[in-house]
Amino acid sequence: MRAETMDQLLRPRKLIVTTALALGVLLIVMLACSLVGSEDISLKAALSSPGAIPGANPDHEIFMRVRLPRIVLACLVGAALACSGVIFQALLRNPLADPYILGISSGAGLGAIFAVVAGLNWTLWGRSPVAVLAFAGALGTVWLVWFIGGLTGKFHVTGLLLAGVVVNAFFSAVIMFLTSTAKSDQVYSTIFWLMGNMAEEDFLVLWVGTGCVVGGIIALFFISPQLNALSFGAEDARSMGVNVVKTRTIAFAVAAGITAIAVSLSGLIGFVGLVVPHAVRLVFGPDHRLMIPLSAIVGAIFLVVADTLARTIIAPAQLPVGVVTAIVGGPVFLILLVKHSRKMGWLR
Amino acid sequence: MSDIIEVRNLSFGYTSASVVLKDVSFAVPSGTFLAIVGPNGAGKSTLLNLMSGALRPQSGTITIDAAPIDSYSAQKLAAKVAVVRQESVPMFGFSVAETVLMARTPYFGAAGFESQADRDIVKAALEATDTAAFASRPLTSLSSGERQRVFIARALAQNSPILLLDEPTSFLDLKHQVGIYDLLKAAQLEKGKTIVAITHDINLACQYCDQALLLGTDGLYRHGPADKVLSAEQIKHVFDVQIFTGRVGQERFFMPLGKRAKDSRQINTKTDEI
Repeated sequence: MRAETMDQLLRPRKLIVTTALALGVLLIVMLACSLVGSEDISLKAALSSPGAIPGANPDHEIFMRVRLPRIVLACLVGAALACSGVIFQALLRNPLADPYILGISSGAGLGAIFAVVAGLNWTLWGRSPVAVLAFAGALGTVWLVWFIGGLTGKFHVTGLLLAGVVVNAFFSAVIMFLTSTAKSDQVYSTIFWLMGNMAEEDFLVLWVGTGCVVGGIIALFFISPQLNALSFGAEDARSMGVNVVKTRTIAFAVAAGITAIAVSLSGLIGFVGLVVPHAVRLVFGPDHRLMIPLSAIVGAIFLVVADTLARTIIAPAQLPVGVVTAIVGGPVFLILLVKHSRKMGWLR
Repeated sequence: MSDIIEVRNLSFGYTSASVVLKDVSFAVPSGTFLAIVGPNGAGKSTLLNLMSGALRPQSGTITIDAAPIDSYSAQKLAAKVAVVRQESVPMFGFSVAETVLMARTPYFGAAGFESQADRDIVKAALEATDTAAFASRPLTSLSSGERQRVFIARALAQNSPILLLDEPTSFLDLKHQVGIYDLLKAAQLEKGKTIVAITHDINLACQYCDQALLLGTDGLYRHGPADKVLSAEQIKHVFDVQIFTGRVGQERFFMPLGKRAKDSRQINTKTDEI
């Protein structure tokens, strides 16, 4: 027998090397994008500690207070959405699935718009009512869909999907109703939110968000062999010894949680959660042990680049980043699709 | 020889009104090959799903290796029973080796990787099923016969004493049909596995199986040695069809004869011994 029979299986060494290389690329992209913007800043000045250069150091201020927080936020949101997309595609066994398929988007949207229309102006741990209600709306909707899906039977993915689609449609209708009754300046800010938008966040929010998202991604990595087995359906996975209910519950809860964090920080950024998992799968294969870390990193890279474009293309004005992800991501994905789909039979 | 599977007074229906299986009892001795035969809708797949723990009986018990089936966790049950389903739809283009390796998922280390022992088991399963040659190809690029062998390899890689199969040879040509049965028989004889296979092919069942369970749509069933259960009278009665019965060497065979078949005039004559 040929020696290479087992060689194509993922080895820990390959996982570590590939992930490390991808992280290296991410760092380079982050650094490069932090130097791009409406103000030119020099890397040397930006990285020097305060007081090292006599007099004011605006480069350092811009780098630390404007560019860096926003780039970290883009990483955070990109990684969360891409990973969540991987999970929903695996659990629902549906290539069209994305983080928003079970109603997270409309739930978050409803929360955000309610906050805008009601004119709330309190803060909770430094977060605006829009962010807080979007987060609560996202989690509440996932719970609702999970609950309704559970009533249709514990192994029925179709029931869950239909519940998600219907809840999504219903909440979207409520969103449109609220938008149509809102004042014009409120409409403008809600539409901007719905398109997905980045802003400079303070470091505390970023630290907490990063901690939650990185923790979630690590948790997802540890159930990735079970997700591989679940790709063959719940019945097959169970007869191979996978605890399907436990795996699904962890995966749904974590994916919904990190998506809710992402959505509450930056609104509804589309496309990342659908396209990044597919692109990673087309290039690196379907093994979730590799898919999860790589999708997180590629999602981060993609959103950092997209957000850099969003804030520079029509500077000093800014585009909503959701517009850029679709306009840049669409063609890139189509090229990948045409180039790689022939070697991957499952798209037939 | 002890009974590795015991089914006692098993009843099941998908709704409380309809009954698919009624008071079924049988035992499968360790290391035997049991064929489950019967017309469509007789409850063959339902019975297999009950024996694999996918469904719960309404009444009655199923015992696997002397313990009730619902006392097993998914992982413990997978160490006893491996299942090859009729349509395992591959998703996302996993390769053959990746697919077979999934059988070892419960035994992966904390970081999610298999041990050398797992790799040896997978390699042995690939070789036993003649699938090693295309181990790196995606499942979707294989013919149905090749794919079926991969799913049997995956079941073998679970290293379980019991193998349940739902129509393992449907959609396969003659060569691949006997190929699959030879493979299963080898697993029975060489590794001592207990094999339970649903089949519509009574002739292959006669050639390979030790025992047979003939399920009828009338709620009655017959269980016993294959050459006793699979008799012309029983088959005629259960399937409600006229048949020719023949014998070549040690092998018996049955041929269904429809009302408009060329030889339909002979329907009322006695079955011929060739």
